[in-house]
Amino acid sequence: MDDEIFDALVIGGGLAGLAAAWTLADQGKSVLVIEKGDYCGAKNVTGGRLYVSPLLPHLGGLLDNAPFERSISREELCVMSAEGSLTLSYTDSSLAALPGQSYSVCRAKLDRYLARQAEKSGAILATKMRVDELIIEDGAVVGVRSGGEALLARTVICCDGVLSLFPQQAGLRGPLEPRHCAVGIKEVVELDAQLINQRFGVSDDQGAARLFLGDATQGRFGGGFLYTNKESIGLGLVLGIEAFSAEGLDLTAPELLERFMQRPEIAPLIAGGQSVEYSAHVIMEGSFDQLSRLYGNGVLVAGEAAGFSLNAGVTVRGMEYALMSGHLAARAVVETCKRDDFSAQSLSVYQKLLEDSFVLKDFRSHRSVAASLDHERFFGFYPGFVTGLMHDLYRVDGPKQPIYPTVRKHLKASVIKDALFKDLGKVRKL
Amino acid sequence: MKRIVVCYKWVLDEAYIRLNADMTLDTNQVDHKISDYDRNAIEAGVQAAKALEGTTMGLTFGTAEAKQSLKAALSRGLDESCWVNAEEASQADGAATASALAGAISRIEDVSLVICAEGASDTFARQTAPRIGALLDLPVVTSVCAMELLGNTLLATRKLKDSTETLEVELPCVVAVLPEVNAAPIPGLKAVLAAGKKPVTELTPEDIEADLSPRAKVEQVRGYVMDRKNVVLKEGSAQEKVTELLAHLRKEGVL
Ligand SMILES: Cc1cc2nc3c(=O)[nH]c(=O)nc-3n(C[C@H](O)[C@H](O)[C@H](O)COP(=O)(O)OP(=O)(O)OC[C@H]3O[C@@H](n4cnc5c(N)ncnc54)[C@H](O)[C@@H]3O)c2cc1C
Repeated sequence: MDDEIFDALVIGGGLAGLAAAWTLADQGKSVLVIEKGDYCGAKNVTGGRLYVSPLLPHLGGLLDNAPFERSISREELCVMSAEGSLTLSYTDSSLAALPGQSYSVCRAKLDRYLARQAEKSGAILATKMRVDELIIEDGAVVGVRSGGEALLARTVICCDGVLSLFPQQAGLRGPLEPRHCAVGIKEVVELDAQLINQRFGVSDDQGAARLFLGDATQGRFGGGFLYTNKESIGLGLVLGIEAFSAEGLDLTAPELLERFMQRPEIAPLIAGGQSVEYSAHVIMEGSFDQLSRLYGNGVLVAGEAAGFSLNAGVTVRGMEYALMSGHLAARAVVETCKRDDFSAQSLSVYQKLLEDSFVLKDFRSHRSVAASLDHERFFGFYPGFVTGLMHDLYRVDGPKQPIYPTVRKHLKASVIKDALFKDLGKVRKL
Repeated sequence: MKRIVVCYKWVLDEAYIRLNADMTLDTNQVDHKISDYDRNAIEAGVQAAKALEGTTMGLTFGTAEAKQSLKAALSRGLDESCWVNAEEASQADGAATASALAGAISRIEDVSLVICAEGASDTFARQTAPRIGALLDLPVVTSVCAMELLGNTLLATRKLKDSTETLEVELPCVVAVLPEVNAAPIPGLKAVLAAGKKPVTELTPEDIEADLSPRAKVEQVRGYVMDRKNVVLKEGSAQEKVTELLAHLRKEGVL
């Protein structure tokens, strides 16, 4: 039998890969997805919130009936010090409206659903297969090698996630550096839907997203997150690798997570639940300047493999960028198929599509966010300052100062004065 | 041309099954796979086809779920596959399963060899091959750990408790193989792609003559947690403790 040459070969059946495969198949292109997991979503880790709104105009056909968990109707921020915490909870009529702008998701369910949709459209999916390397001839990527077999394709789309080595092999980027990476560690606790509704003050289809700043990461770069799913709660920590390999920290990441889950702000929320999943994954800190080159001869890079994730310490956004960049990579391939020209020059249409989309617009506008946030005061000092102030404002055990002098005392007592001016400048970049 | 039919079962992938607190099984989100031992049965079929210069056909009796199994089975080197699609499969006992499979086999021409695994990796009831043999009035050889085909004769080695038995049987016949019979290779990418293009036949209960009503009904499936023995070896020297440990392990049949 003659070996088929696919229009596109997608490495990795995560969000980027499946969006690419679905789009290509939907446009009548032949596409093969190679996924190393037992099934799509088997190994993929996410905190769990997907912003659906910006995607629907492009991927409506794929996402319209996708198995999302709860629409996030409550946005909460909890600033923690070792002794206390201040939680802000925000909701409004537009957040509460359905369909929502963002949803909590379980990757095992979502990725499998997307895989089925891609297959229904005609994509071929090969799971339990790992791509070992790209085949490069005369400076162009012409296929991949997997388990000793060579497979040819007009284009290869690398969607194999944060630890992708293929963009490096194709000469599109240098190696990842620890200072640009964080580690995400997460546990899923199964809990009755009614209990979740009660504990978070939400209805069946609605949920809460709570982010934690400060003591969750012992004042270092990173944060905690908690998302409500239909019948479970996903919670975890994102820890900057550089900040955590520095001197002076005696807890490991799993210990930090354990400690986080025992905090009085968290423990009652998950009480009575059963831990059903534990996972960890590298996250790219993500910024415009660390993006991979996005295309070369015969090759495109999408999703986190390209560096499309924004980690601002407390929030990580990668899923919508993965889906959208996968989709646009596929559209670029459709374009180049018309020209029958798969050179870098021809594939550069991908870059243009990305520039016009929210993906590169976001990356440009967030260019210096992570750098400005990477400062101990944000993760250590301010949380302590805020809870210290709250403590004195609410404490009554003798003569009580009026509010203003209390605030002034705190402002004076701390190093906050000079720092505040400097940090205000940074806050403007957020 | 001589045909080798390999029967296989599409089972839940037990690695992903979770045990609920009340010992019931949580099979949500659990994918299916070809029963582990059936992979060896398929490989045995592929090798037998080479020896007989025949062709192989995979055969499964399953619910709508089992449709996905066809490609998985074909990627292991079978030439074609056949699926008896019936809701009854979810409740079937050994008799109903064998009846469905035998019903399908009797429609297939030139069958020289029917290969099953000794048991399925989920229930391990060990009934399929013997019952198919009985229904089709064919000789049956079970517990086969090695097989060779010489012309129209099968030379099969059976694994007994602590010996082996080798016997000769004329084709056509039914064999039940043990995993030791071969090492089933993991299919490569090209085999997976080629599988999508191989012929597939779908049968319904109306197409075959079979009795699909189960007489043995499954009441419940529950997790089982073995109690720990809690044996602590404290007395004596290290040498004595190790000797005692070995004795315990032998008694438990671990060694
Ligand atoms: C703890 C944590 C919390 C997060 N929270 C959020 C959040 O709340 N919101 C958000 O938007 N983002 C979040 N992210 C980021 C988000 O999960 C990622 O950005 C997103 O999953 C990237 O999608 P992807 O398709 O690029 O890669 P992935 O989802 O990682 O998929 C890559 C796929 O490629 C496969 N693969 C890899 N190598 C090979 C190979 N050689 N051969 C074959 N297959 C291969 C893998 O098995 C995998 O299926 C979080 C990440 C972590 C770790």
